[in-house]
Parts: sequence; structure tokens; C-alpha cells
Amino acid sequence: MQRQKEKRAASNLTRRDVLRTTAGVGLMAALGTNFAHAQGSDVIKVGLIGCGGRGGGALGDCIKGAEKVGAKVEVWAVGDFFAEKAQNRAKQYKIPPERCFSGLDSYKGVIDSGVDLVCMATPPGFRPYHFAYAIEKGKHVFFEKPVAVDPHGVRMVIEAGELAKQKKLGVVAGTQRRHQGEFIENIQRIHDGMIGDIVHMSVYWCGGGIWSRPRQPGMSDVEYQIHNWYHYVWLCGDQIVEQHVHNLDVAQWVMRANPISAYGVGSRHVRTTAGHIYDNFTIEYEYPNGARVLSMCRHWPGDGAGGEFVVGTKGTARPGEWVMPRGGQRIAGKSTGSGYVNEHADLIKSIRDGKPLNEARQVAESTMVAIMGRLAAYTGKRVTWDFVMNKSKLKLMPEPLDPKGSLPEPPVAIPGKEPLI
Amino acid sequence: MKRETKIAGAAVMAALGSNFAHAQGTERLKVGLIGCGGRGNGAVNDVLAADKGVEIWAVGDAFEDKAKASADKFKVPASRCFAGLDAYKGVLESGVDYVILATPPGFRPVHLKAAVEAGKHVFMEKPVAVCPTGVRMVLAAAEQAQKKNLGIVAGTQRRHQASYVETIKRLHEGAIGEILTMSVYWCQGGMWHVPRKEGWSDLDWQLRNWQYFTWLGGDHIVEQHIHNIDVACWVLQATPISAYGSGGRQARTGPEFGHIFDHFGVEFEFPNDVRVKSLCRQIDGCDNVIGEYVAGTEGRANPGGSIDGKVKWRYEGPPTNPYVQEHADLIKSIRDGKPLNEGRQVAESTMAAIMGRMTCYTGKRISWDAAMKSKLDLVPGSGIDVNKLPVWEEAKPGKETFWKA
Repeated sequence: MQRQKEKRAASNLTRRDVLRTTAGVGLMAALGTNFAHAQGSDVIKVGLIGCGGRGGGALGDCIKGAEKVGAKVEVWAVGDFFAEKAQNRAKQYKIPPERCFSGLDSYKGVIDSGVDLVCMATPPGFRPYHFAYAIEKGKHVFFEKPVAVDPHGVRMVIEAGELAKQKKLGVVAGTQRRHQGEFIENIQRIHDGMIGDIVHMSVYWCGGGIWSRPRQPGMSDVEYQIHNWYHYVWLCGDQIVEQHVHNLDVAQWVMRANPISAYGVGSRHVRTTAGHIYDNFTIEYEYPNGARVLSMCRHWPGDGAGGEFVVGTKGTARPGEWVMPRGGQRIAGKSTGSGYVNEHADLIKSIRDGKPLNEARQVAESTMVAIMGRLAAYTGKRVTWDFVMNKSKLKLMPEPLDPKGSLPEPPVAIPGKEPLI
Repeated sequence: MKRETKIAGAAVMAALGSNFAHAQGTERLKVGLIGCGGRGNGAVNDVLAADKGVEIWAVGDAFEDKAKASADKFKVPASRCFAGLDAYKGVLESGVDYVILATPPGFRPVHLKAAVEAGKHVFMEKPVAVCPTGVRMVLAAAEQAQKKNLGIVAGTQRRHQASYVETIKRLHEGAIGEILTMSVYWCQGGMWHVPRKEGWSDLDWQLRNWQYFTWLGGDHIVEQHIHNIDVACWVLQATPISAYGSGGRQARTGPEFGHIFDHFGVEFEFPNDVRVKSLCRQIDGCDNVIGEYVAGTEGRANPGGSIDGKVKWRYEGPPTNPYVQEHADLIKSIRDGKPLNEGRQVAESTMAAIMGRMTCYTGKRISWDAAMKSKLDLVPGSGIDVNKLPVWEEAKPGKETFWKA
């Protein structure tokens, strides 16, 4: 019954649009074809995959986002690798045990439980697999950034993103600056030519550090690494991918192109925590129009730096704040409220309006830019877009993955020795 | 006899305020070498190629074996071959007119100061200091040299390389409009090292492997990458406002490699919102690049010889040897009575490179003003006691260490 409804929803799109939206009656009409269970109900059923801090936050944002556009959300199912995390979230939203899932396959349980929309907030290493399944099953998706940790995962996301397009599924990513008024307005000004041709950008995520979680008694290696996921590249991608993708995504947005190559340095100089990730990266990306983008990210004590700075032939800009034509004044971009809420509002509205947003390729490409930077630092080689998109065989997900299995501490990459795969 | 002539010559020189005591027009110029390593010997060959009126008069090195090898090579008698950390004094007192300073850069400020006080013209290798205290000494000596009409040229040889000179001249004339950004690189493989021999003191071992110790070599961003940072200062006609970056020691980690880093990634902020990205590395097995890139409002360029902008131009002149040219230019300027003085210029580029090192060592954004005032003193005899040399740990941001700026 559920599947039939989904199929009908997908195939009868145009006709229903015409019938329902012109009628303009209530939320059901406004939701149109696009939420499979919205017939006779104005509530969007949402599932959460990954019940950590960001997952919990995403649910709250989804609820507020829906409200912002006059829609309503019900948290229908939750899942997490760790049963306790899933159960805590289930308790918060009064979800019965039959829709509370745990283990590596908990994502399937959530996706198959009758939801319309899934929020994905697990460690990013799992994301491509979860995304592909959700699209296969016809669900709309909000997925956290980054969307992969290796070129294989990026390609999976691009492929599933194309399928989502065909199935008219909405896909929005957690690169929330894309839904922030200041950025939208300022980058439009840049694209309209206010500061001329872009010659240079500097993008930064230089902060003090990140959490590290101690191993709990009784945890297997796999359980521990998932628990402390930030510190393992197969789960996290390293800081440049996990965190700095935000700023690299802004660079991509401004440049409207993918970089030709990445070249740079990095190391694990101060970290003493478990795992093998670096703590500083300095990468230069070369773009097709000749522009070079400097990317700096780190978890170091000392002075921090954040945001993006753009230099054009006719002025400069900080896209999150202002644009300044040469010799002129700073022109500020206007806020439209929280990007975290807007991303859900925009997604839901777009689905309801019959023009579902699809950010899959965009966020997959930004994720790939970050991965290129990591590989450039790890290997010491110049890494090209062509290589990562078309030739790289790098696939980090252990197969098979046994939750009770052993998984040795991976070695730290040594530039010059780490092969570019 | 010689000594009297020398004194008289020096008096004449001081009175005239220029030129060589013994080298007016066709007279031979007496050259002294301080630092008999590979670069020092190379510089001697360069000065011999630069001018026919040159005679290698004296040599000195911390190590007797090196001093003797150079003395043999250049036919310098034993009486003018000096060894030990005070060898530079012997060379300066031996009757030379022109000295080549090619020791590890940690000693340079001390040697430059002494050379200028002794009234000698100087060719000095880059970098010219390894710490802010040293930079200030060099600036003071450069000013004194100006007053005494002494010539100083530094081993930042691109300043004497026709392809760079011609290109940067055109950039300054506006060939790519207003300059907006630069990228500078020195990324290569690892360097030589000398295995420690039985009986060597810590000082012996560190001197033989000077580049791996920041008090001697400055670390590779200062020792090597200064070439490209100097080009940035040259193109932009400015010094940086601040430096911010990170780095570390990821591949070259053995104790035989001292405590220096093997990579640095720095952003230098220059006036008018110009940012210069700097990448330097010394790790085997990586992709390498050495050079500079400039972009402006009306095009881009490689300062070493080509412009692609509203002007499209390539250096097509004859290939020149800047290592020889730098001596030729210095000697000519002295003979012409208007000696070149690159002291301030190379001290400033050295300071910029030191800022790049300090920001990566400490995690702090380093401003030019803070660097110029910094009390960090790695000068032998003042901040460094050569008889008490620990092997320092590599610098780490957040650690209260010797490297505190």
C-alpha cells in the first residue's frame, strides 16, 4: 500500500499539481503530490538517521523550518548505531520501540518505516550508502555535510542524486550558508560583476580543537572508532572534509566551477588523541579561470581564523558579510534568519511547490574539493579533479564491517610515502 | 710593509669614502672567504668569473679541514688560512678589501657587523639572520655601511637576474594593472646531512648539520624560501603587515634532522588587501615546485620571465648567470663610487621569512611590528651560548618554549 502510494506520487506529479495547487485549499493541497503520506494529512513524517548532537539539532531545525513555511512535521522514526542514542531520541519524541532502530542497518529500518523525509546525521563515512538507499526507496533527504569521505563515496552520491532528480525527490545538504540571506545576496552581487573577475580567495577554518571520546569498557575496535568517529578518516574524512567543507563550498559557490588541481601541505603536529587525523592543512586550489584559492584549516592553540575573503579585479568581499567595490563602501548582505532552519524550510517548500531542490551534485562536488585537499597534503602530490573524479580507486569503508570486529589504529599519512590511490 | 700600506690605504679609503684601498681601476681586489662550504667555494668561483681584477687573499672556517681545503683550492698561503669560530676575525684583519660571508646564517649578523666596522665591502649569502635580534643587528650594520660608503650585496640573486629584473620592471610599470595577489613556492625533496662522528661535540655536530638547527639555519622557510619571499617583497614594493600559518615535521622526523620543520603553509598579508600564499616543503617523494606567481587587475605573470595580461611579454634576452652577476654588479658599483647597499632590503625579506616561521612555531598571527620588537635572540654569543647546546624539541604552538616570540 505504501509503495503504491509512492509510485503514484512520483508518476502523477503534474496532474496532481494542477488539480491541487489551483484549488489552493489548505495544507494538503499545498503539499501537493510530494509527500507520499500527505493525502488527507498535513503532517510530514520525518525519520532521523544518526542520533548524535547534530541529528538532534537537525530535528529541531526541521520542525522550525516546517513551521516557517506553514507545514508540520512528525518525528516518526529514529535510528543510530548505538541503541542507547536511538532510545534517548525516541523517548524525546515519544516514538514507539518498533520505530526505534539500532545497529549498522538501523538506517534501513528508519527509511522503510513509513517516513516521507529522512534527516541523515551519522558520521559522514556512512552517508553515501544511506543516501543511495533512501533515494532508491523514494524518500526526500536532508543530509549533513560532508556527504562522503572518499572519491568512491562522492561518485555514489552524484549517481544517487541524478536518480533523485528523475524521481523528483528533494535533497538538501547541511551546507547551510547556501540558505543564508547574507551569502545569497552577496554572492549574487559578485556574480552580477560588482567586484569584477575573481582572482583570489582565502578560506579559513582555524580553530582550537575538537572533541575526543575515550573508549568505553567492552567496546570493540569498530564500536570505539564509530564512537570517536572524528579521529578516523574512514568515518570523518579529516577536518578539511568534515568541517572546512563549509568554506570550500562557499568558494565553489563564488567560483561556479570545479578546481583543476589541489596542492599543499599538512601534518599531525599537535594532536595527541587517538586516531590518525591531521591537525593542520594549507592547500592551494587552482581554478579554470586562473584564480587561486588558499585554504587553511587547523585545530591548533593560538590565533584562530574563519570565513572567506574574495579578491576581484574590481573590489573585495567577505560573502557572509559585505561586498566592497574598489574605492567604494562596504555593502552588507541582509540576514534571512538561521541557515539551519532555512535549509529545512526551503527543502519542504520546494517539495510542496513541485520543484524539489536537489543539492546532491553541488555538495558532492564541494566534498570532493575537500577530499582533494586532504589527499594533496597526505601524499605531497598535486591532485587533479580529473584524477579524483575519474581515476581514483580510494574506498575507505571496511568491507565487511563487523560491529564487534577488530580494526587496528590506522597509521598517520606521511607525505612522499602515502600513495595517491 | 703590507700592514702600513693597508693602514694608509684604509685612511685614504675613509677620506675618499669609496672604492678599494688597492683596487682603483686596474688594481687587484683582495677577497676574503668566511665560510668554506659548498656555497662559499661557489661564491669564490663566481667572484673570480665576475672580475679579472680579483685575488683570493684569505679564507676562514669554523672547521680546519674546510678552511684548508679552500686554501688549497684557491692557493691561499697557510698564514692567511684561519680556523675556529673566530676565523672571521683573522680574515678581516688579513688585508682584504671585500669579504664573502657564507657561513651558516646564524652567524651572519655578527660577521656583517664586524666586516662593516673593519671597513670592508661585503657579499653576504642569504638569509642574513635567523631571529629578530639578528635582523636588527643587520639593519644597524647596513646603515653604518651606508655612512661609510661600503658596498653590500646579498645572495638573493634573482635581484641580479635579467629575466626577473626585466619582468618586475614591467610589472611596476603596470603591465598587469594593480597587483592583487601572489603565490610563492619552494617545495622540494630532502637535503644532505652528515652522520655524527665519534668524538664530535654537540657544537661540532650541529655546525656540520647547520640547516637542521634553527639557531644556525633559521629553518627552511628562512634559509631557502626567502628567495621567493624576497621576490614577493620586490614585486609588491612592501613588507608584510602580518603572517599567519601552520606547519610541522611529518616526514623528516629522525634525530639526525635536528628539530626543524619539513613544511610550512603561510599567508602573508600585505598592504592594500594583497595576500601572498607561501608553501614550502623539504620532503622526498612529493610533487615539487619552485617559483612565484602574480595576478593583477589586468592579467597575471611569472615574475621570473613572462607576462600574460593587457601586455603579453616574455623575457627573450640572453641567459645570464645571476650568481656571477651579483658580484659583477657590486664590484662595478664600488668602482663607480656608488656602492650598492642591499642590506636593508635583504634584512626585511629575511624578517618576513622569520615571521612566517614564527607564526607556524607559535600558532599566533605575527605582525611586522611585533616581530621588529621581538626579543627572540638566537645570536651566538648573546642569545645562544655555543658551549651549552641542548637539542631543542621542535616548536609546537601553545607550548611555552624557547621559541616564544
